[in-house]
Amino acid sequence: MSVVSPVRPVGVLDRRMTLRELVDQPSLTDLCMSFVELHRLGVKVFDEDGARLVDIKTGSGDFCAYLFTKSPGKQRCTETVTYLKQHPLPVVGNERGCEARTCFSGTRYVMAPIVHEGDLLGRVVLGPFVPEEAGDLSPELFELAGAFDLERVRELQKRIRRASETAVRRIAEHFGKVLEVLLFASYRAALTSQMHIEAISEDYRELQAKSRELKESYERLQELDRLKSNFLATVSHELRTPLTSIIGYSEMLLAGLAGELNPEQEDYLSTVLEKGEGLLNLITSLLDLSKVESQGVKLALKETAVPAIVRQSVSTVLPLATKRRIELSTEVDESMPPAVVDPDKLRQAIVNLLSNAVKFTPDGGKILVRSGLLPQAPEGTGPFGRASRFLVSVQDNGIGIAPAEQERIFETFYQVDSSSTRAHGGAGLGLSLVKSYVEAHGGKVWVQSRLDEGSTFTLDLPLETAQPARP
Amino acid sequence: MELNPDKRELALKFVYYGPGLSGKTTNLRALFQTADPRGRGRLMTVDTADDRTLFFDLLPLFLQTSSGLKVKLKLFTVPGQVMHNSTRRLVLAGADAVAFIADAQPGERQANFDYWRNLGENLRENGISTENLPLVIQFNKCDLADGALRQEIAETARNSRRPVFAATAIRGEGVKETFSALVSLTLERLDREHGLARSTGLDLAELLGSLARTLEGSRAGGPR
Ligand SMILES: Nc1nc2c(ncn2[C@@H]2O[C@H](COP(=O)(O)OP(=O)(O)OP(=O)(O)O)[C@@H](O)[C@H]2O)c(=O)[nH]1
Ligand SMILES: Nc1ncnc2c1ncn2[C@@H]1O[C@H](COP(=O)(O)OP(=O)(O)OP(=O)(O)O)[C@@H](O)[C@H]1O
Ligand SMILES: [Mg+2]
Ligand SMILES: [Mg+2]
Repeated sequence: MSVVSPVRPVGVLDRRMTLRELVDQPSLTDLCMSFVELHRLGVKVFDEDGARLVDIKTGSGDFCAYLFTKSPGKQRCTETVTYLKQHPLPVVGNERGCEARTCFSGTRYVMAPIVHEGDLLGRVVLGPFVPEEAGDLSPELFELAGAFDLERVRELQKRIRRASETAVRRIAEHFGKVLEVLLFASYRAALTSQMHIEAISEDYRELQAKSRELKESYERLQELDRLKSNFLATVSHELRTPLTSIIGYSEMLLAGLAGELNPEQEDYLSTVLEKGEGLLNLITSLLDLSKVESQGVKLALKETAVPAIVRQSVSTVLPLATKRRIELSTEVDESMPPAVVDPDKLRQAIVNLLSNAVKFTPDGGKILVRSGLLPQAPEGTGPFGRASRFLVSVQDNGIGIAPAEQERIFETFYQVDSSSTRAHGGAGLGLSLVKSYVEAHGGKVWVQSRLDEGSTFTLDLPLETAQPARP
Repeated sequence: MELNPDKRELALKFVYYGPGLSGKTTNLRALFQTADPRGRGRLMTVDTADDRTLFFDLLPLFLQTSSGLKVKLKLFTVPGQVMHNSTRRLVLAGADAVAFIADAQPGERQANFDYWRNLGENLRENGISTENLPLVIQFNKCDLADGALRQEIAETARNSRRPVFAATAIRGEGVKETFSALVSLTLERLDREHGLARSTGLDLAELLGSLARTLEGSRAGGPR
């Protein structure tokens, strides 16, 4: 409950506005001026507190000024003005009445309340005018005859309009109505623009709160991501240590260091060794990934013969390809100049592409590895017209990749068929590592593929990778 | 509410709330059209070219009592379009009572429900407790409702602790009933919680009578 001064801030729509806030004073003056010209009556406008907003005289100026020069006149004139400003005017709902007041000088004024939404905001005072029925000067003036030159007063009074009070009341009522329309329009404009501003700042406030929430949840996610990387690094490290022992002891057993093995034992042990190495590879790539994620790729740049790297990579997957009767051929430009790259990362990238090619190509398929300078093209040419980039591509005629998947396969852990019944092993890490390595060199990797026809993955790398600015 | 004991003035704020096109503006128009011109101000509407409320509508009503207390009732509507939620919240600020205008058309059930919840949220945001808030529910557009729904409304009316009215605002049906009930609830609450009658010498029954005459319009004779 709010008594006069409300506790909670007054809403935009609930604030009471004063006459001064509602009208534009120059416009109000213009309006009054045109009334004065039309009716030859003075117009005064006062606000609720009796402060004057408009005062335009016509004809009465000299008359009043003369009477004001002498003290009895001055005193009574002031009485009249005070009455005009302050005499309470009744307002009942929308109903209002005009009131008249006769000055000691015999001239008369009519007051009309200015009502807005049932509240009295001020008043209009029309006059002075000489009432139609008035005879010579007012009796009060005769009483003060000693003070004034009555002939002079008569002369001056002639300049003031004669009118019937009824007519002036009608004019006052009309004027009040015009003013109210004006007030309504300004009130509407004021509320509307206020609402507009408030609504916009409310929306802004809401948006800010939302984006703060988003930012917080983004930061939480980032933190989780960091935790995941750390977790990966720790776990893979902890897994590797016992695994190296498993592999080491299996190798020792296979080498006969603990005595002869029968063929069956040898067979079982080979499987243990094979699976163990598979597991080690997986853990190694997890470790690589967590390294990439936690500190970015660190390159150890060296002048490198690319053809040699390609050959080493091919020999890594050759045993597997042979077992699957996949034909693995190369087209290597032996004459290309050495490149400045991280040889280990380049080898790893090519091996990853090759092992995918083997994995996703049916038995008896074909894989072709090509490497060489980027064919002379404006983009691949250095400032002096020399080639500045080289390509390595791995082409297979395997199962292919649907267009919708071709972007996503480079994401960490993404696999086209991620069901538990999928035909191929792996963790979905290979390509994301390839991408990180290649991009660290300032290069790119892309795939061209058609479903059921095969895929070609291409690495595009600068011949000379710039040393990173930071140590 | 705003009570100014010196000037003997009481101002109350009523907000018409509800889904888009449920007939909030139509309610105010209907009240405006039949009310005694001496007891009402101009109807202020701020709408778009297609007659959707943009910010609010405002209709002031004035009542006078023999104790000399001037009572001003300010009726607002909110814009129903979803995007104007912050405007709805602003209009709702400082409300003394709410008329929830639901749409009785068969397809509007979900919208009614959504806006009922939206009303709750915005009241909360404005720090207005729903517990004791004078609130009436109007199902408008009953001319378009099917039999099942009309029955359901009657059912709701029987079970609800809030007054429920069926209305066809476009024909003025149920509009005065809705508003009168809301004013009556509001005055009862103010009297209960703030001893309004005692502190202002206000005769609640007289005020409601005065309201009824104002809403009836000139035919029944104006206020006073
Ligand atoms: N048939 C029918 N139509 C109605 C009734 N009441 C309102 N309408 C119509 O419904 C439409 C929307 O009415 P409004 O009063 O503008 O609705 P509103 O709730 O103010 O809408 P917003 O300002 O957009 O929130 C208008 O075309 C009205 O003529 C009713 O009782 N019956
Ligand atoms: N040559 C290819 N032909 C068809 N699909 C491929 C080929 N290379 C990759 N893909 C698809 O892209 C997915 C992601 O490859 P990626 O190398 O990142 O993971 P992976 O081979 O499944 O697992 P990982 O490399 O970690 O052992 C593969 O699961 C496969 O669906
Ligand atoms: Mg792979
Ligand atoms: Mg509307």
